Amino acid sequence: MNDKSAARTSQRKNSVGKIVGRYSFITIFLIIFAVFLIINHGATTWSGVMNILRHSTVLGILALGMGIVIVTGGIDLSIGSMLALIGGLSVTLFNATNSPLLTFVAAIGIGLILGLINGLFVGFGGMPAFIVTLSTMLIYRSIAQYYLRSMGLSIYNMNGNLSSYDSFYDFGQLKIATVPVVGIVLVIVTIIMVYLMTMTKFGKSVYAIGSNVKAAHLAGINVPKTRVLVFAISGVLCAIGAFLWLSMNGSLDPATIGKSYEMYAIAAVVIGGISMSGGKGKLLGVLFGAMSYTIIDKIIASLGFDALINDTIKGSILLVAVLAQIVVPAIRQK
Amino acid sequence: MALLEMTNISKSFFGVPVLQNVNFSVEEGEVHALLGENGAGKSTLMNILAGVYTRDAGNVVFDGKKLTRATIKGSEDVGIAFVHQELNLFNDLRVFENIFLRKEITTRLGRLDKATMIRKSEALFTQLGVDIDPTMVVSELEAGKKQQLEIAKALFANAKLFILDEPTTALNNEEIEHLFESIRRLKKQGKAFIFISHKMTEIFAIADRYTVLRNGEYIDSGKIDKTVSPRDVARMMVGNRYSDLSVYQSRELGDVVIEADGLTGHNFRNVHFSVRKGEIVGFTGLLSAGISEIFQTIFGGLPIHGGTLTIKGQRVHNWSIHEAMRNRLAMIPSNRKENSLLPDASLLENEYVSEHTLSGRIQHIFAKRELSNYNALKDVLNIKANSAADLITSISGGNQQKVVLARWLNTESDILLMDNPTQGIDVGAKAEIYRLIHELARDGKTILVNSLEIPELQQVADRCLVFYQGQLQTELSRAELTEENVMLWATNAIHAAEVLSR
Repeated sequence: MNDKSAARTSQRKNSVGKIVGRYSFITIFLIIFAVFLIINHGATTWSGVMNILRHSTVLGILALGMGIVIVTGGIDLSIGSMLALIGGLSVTLFNATNSPLLTFVAAIGIGLILGLINGLFVGFGGMPAFIVTLSTMLIYRSIAQYYLRSMGLSIYNMNGNLSSYDSFYDFGQLKIATVPVVGIVLVIVTIIMVYLMTMTKFGKSVYAIGSNVKAAHLAGINVPKTRVLVFAISGVLCAIGAFLWLSMNGSLDPATIGKSYEMYAIAAVVIGGISMSGGKGKLLGVLFGAMSYTIIDKIIASLGFDALINDTIKGSILLVAVLAQIVVPAIRQK
Repeated sequence: MALLEMTNISKSFFGVPVLQNVNFSVEEGEVHALLGENGAGKSTLMNILAGVYTRDAGNVVFDGKKLTRATIKGSEDVGIAFVHQELNLFNDLRVFENIFLRKEITTRLGRLDKATMIRKSEALFTQLGVDIDPTMVVSELEAGKKQQLEIAKALFANAKLFILDEPTTALNNEEIEHLFESIRRLKKQGKAFIFISHKMTEIFAIADRYTVLRNGEYIDSGKIDKTVSPRDVARMMVGNRYSDLSVYQSRELGDVVIEADGLTGHNFRNVHFSVRKGEIVGFTGLLSAGISEIFQTIFGGLPIHGGTLTIKGQRVHNWSIHEAMRNRLAMIPSNRKENSLLPDASLLENEYVSEHTLSGRIQHIFAKRELSNYNALKDVLNIKANSAADLITSISGGNQQKVVLARWLNTESDILLMDNPTQGIDVGAKAEIYRLIHELARDGKTILVNSLEIPELQQVADRCLVFYQGQLQTELSRAELTEENVMLWATNAIHAAEVLSR
């Protein structure tokens, strides 16, 4: 009896350690958040914290798409360019129709198509995801820029004189009980994606492919179809991101929007504990990974550093975070 | 005096002896066949000779010198060349670059002298009767040519003793004849060969002497001549092992559920057989026999090239894994780690991965229902594991295989194709799998088992089909199912015996 209870306590101790290990992304987030609070000497306001959520929205939603692609063992480098192209076309569409709803539906449709293009090449063409999305990364952004130039403009600007402009723009600034609505959208999208990946058969097959593609195939999973769907979802998430961006900013520059977002998204995914070789990791971590990176922006801003030092710190945190994820389990095994 | 003298060689891995006091010797200018079943210790002995493993005890004397330190380079330096069964070629390099790797011919300025290397490669190939263009990239060569290149590369080395480990698996008859000609010619120059093969015809065609190992022990050696028959050798290889505990029981059989009529596919051709509901049919043959491919074809993983396949009275068209699964077929593939396990997933997820693909219309996972189904199957199959959320890699091989079996029972499949189901599983777990196979057959499931282990087939199979090089050789009833019989047919020794008696 005594043995049994001892075993149970040791098991519990183990599982506490395991949980801390499994949710290391929260630890990282809390450390960065604590640094942020200290640097601000208690001048942090509730709305300052809510701003973190707001400013994490677009990157967070894109990174969730990147996350599921990486779980299959692939990668989607085209997310930043999809943001530019979907956003640009959405602006044109809104200016022509004056309908936020139609713009939203069209954006989702365009995102779906762009994602499907990636997915078809990877899933049925059997090409490496890195190459396919590197190509579309170049193509999508170039089209967004070329199309703008062909109209004789330098920036995609939503027409402020349209009757529904205000309601569209206000949506991006709206707060419910002091919480920004775009942040709520991020949380909702995260919940849906976490549900998709943990509680549906589709999600399990995505993990299965990343874990052992041969076994997944022999177990009856339609591997090409699953790959296509994963990229399509990434495209749709880019569309949601683009729509939210427009409602927050009202305009976009296709040359700069979402630049390096694929790298930040990968970083958020990795900090979130998803393995680059696929098959394991939690999508919830991606949310915290994205928010961690937003806080770093804020820290640098409040310290008054040059924004150019930004990537040095982001890069270092990525290095340390991943090193910890590799070294800590190795030490624990000994 | 012998060229090679290995005496009292012993070797253990993790306390398990794999070689015990083995003696082995090779004369100059002879071809010596090293024989034994899988796991008999042939590879271990050769790896000790080649310096891959160090021996625990015993002496190796080569060419009059005692070999003490075992290193790969050391044994190469004294003149031992090892042609491994798996190819060790650089696929992205050209043929001549592979031959001359680390032995490149250079001009005085240190520039590679490609012309000379290509010319020498051509000369080597002409000498060996091999038709390979030295400037081709290796990855463009077909499997047989690669094997020829591998052998040619070794023969190019100035060795005294060549170890050929199953050198003919990817060669056709003509290529084998060329290889044998080269061996005979080199033999005359005093070179010696250790020839490892499961094919009796070849052994009786090329070898001068034989040594048989069984379970890591030396059994016998002697001259290959009229006094020994392939049957004798086969008997020495398997010994008089008997199965001490039998789970076999006969059953009532139902209608025909699988019918292959002239079925032809990847690595097998014109295969005829039929299987009835509730039957357990053994399939056996060497690795190159094509049985894994037959199973994969029935399961929809490989295309049908010719003939017909009829499942439960329906001739199959547009066959795919998904279609096969909808017809309640299941396959437990060989090589569990590579083809079955999802290493990052839990026991529960590993069990449910196939069921999910059939029930995809409702995407939501009802966790409680899955868990209770898992626990029910866990009890039926006696899976030893703590939590359903544990990783599949945390349990033993036997229990992993039971989870894979549970995966397919979960899809309510009634035809189970088991490709080497007890690979890498300890004896106790094996017995349990045999018992389960019988229980499943009693419940009306039809089971096809591919196995190289005859005692295993004696435990489970109602009858056994023996294959050689993609063709059905014979069907053995339970009474005829002995290791000797299987070995005769599976190695094509039946025909070797005919050749000798002529």
